[in-house]
Amino acid sequence: MPNATAVVARFHPVVAAVLLFLWNLPRNFLIVLLKAYRKVVSPLYGQVCRFFPSCSAYALEAVTVHGAVKGTWLAVRRLGRCHPWNAGGVDHVPAGHREWPANRTPTIVVLNNPDKYLVARTDEEGRSAA
Amino acid sequence: MDFFGTIMAPFKWLVSIIMIGFHDGLTAIGMPTANGWTWTLSIIGLVLVIRAALIPVFVKQIKAQRGMQLLQPDLKKLQDKYKGKTDQLSRQAMAQEQMAMYKKHGTNPFSACLPMLIQMPFFFALFQVLSGITSAKNEGQGIGAMSHEQVVEFDASSIFGAPLSAALLHGGAGNVAVVVLSIIMILAMTASQFITQKQIMAKNMSEEAMASPFMRQQKMMLYILPIVFGVGGINFPIGVLIYWTTTNLWTMGQQFFVIRRMPTPGSPAAKALAERRAAKGLPALSVLTGKKEEAPEAAAAVEPKGQRVQPQRKNRKKK
Repeated sequence: MPNATAVVARFHPVVAAVLLFLWNLPRNFLIVLLKAYRKVVSPLYGQVCRFFPSCSAYALEAVTVHGAVKGTWLAVRRLGRCHPWNAGGVDHVPAGHREWPANRTPTIVVLNNPDKYLVARTDEEGRSAA
Repeated sequence: MDFFGTIMAPFKWLVSIIMIGFHDGLTAIGMPTANGWTWTLSIIGLVLVIRAALIPVFVKQIKAQRGMQLLQPDLKKLQDKYKGKTDQLSRQAMAQEQMAMYKKHGTNPFSACLPMLIQMPFFFALFQVLSGITSAKNEGQGIGAMSHEQVVEFDASSIFGAPLSAALLHGGAGNVAVVVLSIIMILAMTASQFITQKQIMAKNMSEEAMASPFMRQQKMMLYILPIVFGVGGINFPIGVLIYWTTTNLWTMGQQFFVIRRMPTPGSPAAKALAERRAAKGLPALSVLTGKKEEAPEAAAAVEPKGQRVQPQRKNRKKK
């Protein structure tokens, strides 16, 4: 939900923090699971995915950006596309409503959209040099 | 029935009906019906059916690897573009461009996770069928497509005195036959897996693939899998171990065939094949199709010291 933070902000700060924690719990649980999978199981197979980003990277970004329900749905649909009769190629997660403060964009979002963030980074370097 | 059970039900049915099919066929040609060997052959039959069904996927993969040769010039350009850029984001950008290139050329060297994933429900289904045999017998039920009579018969059947539904850790530890058979099969699985992987890495990888960072992971897998087999093996019923061992042996045989007859272009095995063919005076094979090259060189190749047509060489000159 895009404005979950705005909704809970009306409550007492402690209540708001608890509500936000509970609201994000399924999402964060899935993120931990996916990160563990990518760290432990993925390396065993080497690269098999026909897409960029790979299915597990796609799932991690989808859940991070879209939350547990929509993210899972997007990830399942991607897994369904990933078979030997699909040409594969570049297939990004659709943009979500979540916004992050500058420099706090989740790593997976940066890594999955290298063209976008590589340009942003070289711009920054250019500015600091000048 | 729970969610998992509902998903597994059709797979359990499919697995058991294939086994029953083989079992009935084997009894029809005179094998004893309540015998462990008849059921063992039925499990092996199940492996043959599943792996044969996956052959088209495998063939497609080999063709895609041949198609990769067409991409070599573009791939080289891409590598030059990102030369020296070793940070993670640049690597990701390169991976993305590479994927886009594969798509543009309509060839992709990766097989997707489907071939691996599709075997898992069958494996789990067999696991559930075999480990549920004893309780189904006690409750007077059947499993999947197996009738109660067949369940009773299966539960009583054994090879070398080891029941097919017994597992080392789950009640089988007291039975010497179960222990010995489990360990032998775990060793066989590990050995076949190890040999397959070693063969691929030593003979059937192009130079580019050997230099890639995935090689480290591949090597890691070589030593982690025996542990996986060991831990899995002592938990799984003998019947599941038969399935697992047979499917590993199939992979090994398939790999030997591929290395000998359709090696990856640019790999040591491809050189060996080209040399064998040249020694016999046969024309060289096309890199892309694996068919004989339609070329006047055929006449030249008949001469023992004539030019050997080695496709890899041509590519190397371009670099």
